Amino acid sequence: MFFSLTDEQRALRSTVRDFLADRFPLQAVRELYDEDTDGDPAELWKSIGEQGWLAVLIPEEYDGLGLGLLDAAVLARCWGEGCVPGPFLPTLVAAEAIRLGGSAAQKSEWLPRVATGEAKLALAHGGRVTQADGKLSGTVRHVEYAHVADRLVIAADGGRLWLVDPRGAGVTVTVTDALDRSTVLATVTLDGAAGEELAAPVLPDVLDRAAVLYANDLAGVARVALDRTVDYDKTREQFGRPVGSFQAIKHALADLHVAVTMAEHAGWYAAHALDTGLPDAALAVSVAKSKAGDAAREATAAMIQYHGGIGFTWEHDAHLFFKRAKRAEYQYGDPTEHRERIARLVVDGA
Amino acid sequence: MDLTYSEADEQFRAEFRGWLDAHLPAEWRERGFWARQDRDEGFAMRREWEAEKARAGFAGIQWPVEYGGRGGTPAQRAIYDEEMVRYRAPLTVNGLGLTFLAPTIMVIGSDEQKRDIIKPLLHNEVIWCQGFSEPNAGSDLAALQCRAESDGDEYVINGQKIWTSQAMHADKMFGLFRTSTEDKKHRGITMLIVDLHNPDGSLAPGVDIRPLKQMTGGLDFGEVFFTDVRVPKTNVIGVEGSGWDVAMLLLSFERGASAMPQYTAFRRELDDVIGLARDLGRDKNALLRQRIASSVVELECLKYHSLHLLTQVEQGKELGAASSMTKLQWSETHQDIGELFTDVAGVAHQITGDGLDDLQRSFLWSRSETIWGGSSQVQRNIVAERVLGLPR
Repeated sequence: MFFSLTDEQRALRSTVRDFLADRFPLQAVRELYDEDTDGDPAELWKSIGEQGWLAVLIPEEYDGLGLGLLDAAVLARCWGEGCVPGPFLPTLVAAEAIRLGGSAAQKSEWLPRVATGEAKLALAHGGRVTQADGKLSGTVRHVEYAHVADRLVIAADGGRLWLVDPRGAGVTVTVTDALDRSTVLATVTLDGAAGEELAAPVLPDVLDRAAVLYANDLAGVARVALDRTVDYDKTREQFGRPVGSFQAIKHALADLHVAVTMAEHAGWYAAHALDTGLPDAALAVSVAKSKAGDAAREATAAMIQYHGGIGFTWEHDAHLFFKRAKRAEYQYGDPTEHRERIARLVVDGA
Repeated sequence: MDLTYSEADEQFRAEFRGWLDAHLPAEWRERGFWARQDRDEGFAMRREWEAEKARAGFAGIQWPVEYGGRGGTPAQRAIYDEEMVRYRAPLTVNGLGLTFLAPTIMVIGSDEQKRDIIKPLLHNEVIWCQGFSEPNAGSDLAALQCRAESDGDEYVINGQKIWTSQAMHADKMFGLFRTSTEDKKHRGITMLIVDLHNPDGSLAPGVDIRPLKQMTGGLDFGEVFFTDVRVPKTNVIGVEGSGWDVAMLLLSFERGASAMPQYTAFRRELDDVIGLARDLGRDKNALLRQRIASSVVELECLKYHSLHLLTQVEQGKELGAASSMTKLQWSETHQDIGELFTDVAGVAHQITGDGLDDLQRSFLWSRSETIWGGSSQVQRNIVAERVLGLPR
């Protein structure tokens, strides 16, 4: 019995955490809010490719590290802690579609390039896309980093997956301005675009794995939001004493500590459950994503509230955490959707 | 991450299940069985069954063999807890002694105390209760006033304890008494052992016990009054004036335990609520489905959290104040399940017939769980101050 991260995973976590804090601190995230950029800092992408972190889930035969989802979850957690931007998680998720559903040729073409950082990918799902004779038509909204992707993995009606070149004929990618600037959301419009179908329709598996990665990102957002609020309330004085000494605030922060801790453990468990095929894996995915979504929303809202007026300013970091939490809350299933899935599993016995 | 148990641990599970299959009467496992038994007879049945289990070696799982324990691992203790709940085996009649007193005696007891207390406790030869709370000392335990005055080789006790679980059946009490009013309130306290009943079942001299009826209708706790009760000074646990520290040590043993028993029991209760929703045709109600799922989420999180605690215990780490988090998670979630039950049942949850059914009892009982053992408000203070480091 060992329910914890291994020493290697802890070492990875502190390496990634320190690297990101050093190379891409919140001040750099803030620039994405204040300046007109493509939202994909080139130096950041280059350096994470060099570190090999994009290779985490790529099998060794495709020049990857062949590690598990729990290892990738450790990375996702660090991304959340720092509100780190860029197409890192979107590329990991779309690469999972190719790893799980691609033909040998498709895997050979894309996975080694993902591992080194040469290729960026995006999964476009949740829209209405029809297919006829390998030509795709339709619209998918809120696709992360579609504007910089080298390939889109498009989910069409019937759950089949297609590789599409975003620069090819019949494809239009339009960036939309979003509240959270630690991502870029784009609309993908297809009008008879050429697609290459993946060998297997693996969308449900990919969505589960994505939900777990985003749950761990959210756990990171939630934990840092809570830690920073606790630190501030230890020293901020009103009525002649630190506001953190008031029970109205203490009890709220204590409850949040419980909720965030539960979300952290749920994020680990779900990743491990998928890695090892535990019988309750589907349940665990929905527990993790719904708990993390709720905990991150509550912790980041508390970060604003328990900083008082300063917490509502553009200059303060609270809104960076709050907006990221709100965005990721709805990606790959929001808490309400995941609870309905839990009800189907537990109440309906589906 | 590795969620499998070792071969030796699984071997233990198989042995224990074999014993339970052979020795746990089928009707005892039926819903509502214990509610139908006469209170004193039911207690006697459980007392004897538990002693038989101890004689078979399935008690004190983690305790050293020299104290009559099994010398097992933390994982085996968790497996034992899990199987007890899974088999619907009767609850222990000596929980306060098993959970709190015996581990404390192992650490700081005198040689005589180790010999005289631990094994008889394990075999239910002596039933224990805990005398902490008083009418004016609940969450503020250190405000306790029940006096123990020194008189030669003895103390003379006068005063009152309240909310004392098992007071009516306990042979002895371990309790906190004020031995000095001069020091700071945390300092003038001593932990003492006091006889409550004589071997023939009559009250010990100077002791009076009155049962308190709980809101469930049960009589599981009571008031204990002391009038010039004399106890020898060899009955001190620790030393005079160290009672507060001994109490903190004692309470820390609650924290070694995972919440897997609660997970297993509450998940079964939730399944019963789901079954009720199906029977009433309310299982398609979208709002109820969301709330059922919320309770599943919180219970599954409790399971993962318990696995993490177990890992930390196996690694020899001190859980300390973090265990307050565990208590908050299970006790608050259990109340939510109780509310869910009444919302599914509607006004029918009020109808009692011959007595309370398991869901009704649990629903009412869950209201006590956020009070005893440190109220939720005290637990939140502990998490805020000792885990998060917020100022007092």
